[in-house]
Amino acid sequence: MSLLERPYYPDYSSAPIQHQFSPYADNGGSVVAIAGDDFVVIAADTRLSTGFSIYTREQKKLFPLSDGTILGCAGCWCDTLTLTRILKSRMQMYQHEHNKTMSTTACAQMLSTLLYYKRFFPYYISNVLVGFDTEGKGCVFSYDPIGHCEKTKYKAGGSAGALLQPLLDNQIAHTNLDKVPKEPLTVEKALALLKDVFISAAERDIYTGDNVLINIVTKDGIKEEHFDLRKD
Amino acid sequence: MFLTRSEYDRGVNTFSPEGRLFQVEYAIEAIKLGSTAIGICTSEGVVLAVEKRITSPLMEPTTIEKIVEVDKHIGCAVSGLMADSRTMIDRARIECQNHWFVYNENISVESCAQGVSNLAIQFGDSDDDGAAMSRPFGVAILFAGIDEKGPQLYHMDPSGNFVQFDAKAIGSGSEGAQQSLQEVYHRSMTLEEATTSALTILKQVMEEKLNASNVEVMTMTPKDLFHMFTKEQVEEALKKIDMPSEVQHPALSQIGERKKTENVK
Repeated sequence: MSLLERPYYPDYSSAPIQHQFSPYADNGGSVVAIAGDDFVVIAADTRLSTGFSIYTREQKKLFPLSDGTILGCAGCWCDTLTLTRILKSRMQMYQHEHNKTMSTTACAQMLSTLLYYKRFFPYYISNVLVGFDTEGKGCVFSYDPIGHCEKTKYKAGGSAGALLQPLLDNQIAHTNLDKVPKEPLTVEKALALLKDVFISAAERDIYTGDNVLINIVTKDGIKEEHFDLRKD
Repeated sequence: MFLTRSEYDRGVNTFSPEGRLFQVEYAIEAIKLGSTAIGICTSEGVVLAVEKRITSPLMEPTTIEKIVEVDKHIGCAVSGLMADSRTMIDRARIECQNHWFVYNENISVESCAQGVSNLAIQFGDSDDDGAAMSRPFGVAILFAGIDEKGPQLYHMDPSGNFVQFDAKAIGSGSEGAQQSLQEVYHRSMTLEEATTSALTILKQVMEEKLNASNVEVMTMTPKDLFHMFTKEQVEEALKKIDMPSEVQHPALSQIGERKKTENVK
């Protein structure tokens, strides 16, 4: 019998016992953003959880970075706290250095570089950034944890991201539907859709629930709204 | 004059009792030995024109580079110690590229000047920050660029101080040229007018006779951004300044007259 085939009994083994530190926590949460021509809405649920327990039912996961730029974060909450504090200070430093507020596109690129600089010990966060692009149209930037950045019109991220993205593809982009007339998206339509998808997510995903906080960004500024989800 | 300064003009880290840093002031003096460079900012764009001192007929004039591209939207004209200017231009280019890398947008002209200014004041012998130089840089720079505020011209001296200008001259002929600029400059100037004025003034202050190989001209416009004149374009621009004086701006011909009488003296 070779050494490798011997059954492993930790108490009788002379090999050193290995302990592993897991630096990440998955605190769940979902973020959905939808952009129109003259508006953009972003929403996140307010449940913060770990495994089968809930830390809090009222955690805000949307972070206004400037008058027209909002970041939504889901994933490892401690990473979110650090990243958003760094972003806040970088926004302030930019304001002082260049005498202007950072544009959403500049912020999107900066977030990408910030994430990539931690390429080998990433912030474990699903980031969704919204605002207006250089042409003044609503836009959504979505990220992977190591800084890949994609500019889109809608995005679902976080624990129910995979569940909701195909739903948005169908309802907003009408993917693979050719008989549906293409109409420009309105704020009302976007909000109704947002509520529907979150209700659906809360039905199947245990990390999404309690409440939804919505931020509606238009030329006039940011408006806050919220509505209840199931709490079980 | 120098006797009173002798105690305090050695180190760059000692103020004189009157509160002056002589090495910095001497560095500013060093600029006045450099070749003349003129920048004019108009609503259509910015023009930079510099003289190149061709000290030998065996010299290859194209290898003297006094106007450089820093980014597509920022160009610089330098006067003073050319070797020092390389370091500063290098920093300006790094500032531009770093801003583009992090923010995916063009850096503003002011921020670029600020970045170079940070380098310019890193003289002295502090070892914690890592001094860039043991002495101040002997260079004055004109930053010409286009950003969201439109065409802009900034001037920076060896002390690291930078100020925005409508029109500015640096180098050996700067005093006379600045006076002339003040007289010809007006808000509604076209870029072509500015180019002609810059060359006319340069011609007046230069010791050498102005020709297509001893002058460099660059325009910075929202459409074409950094554009260095080819030899043919310089020749074309020089033809315009040889036109009879009444065709030109009246103020310019007056300056020409004044200059001639001064020379007689």
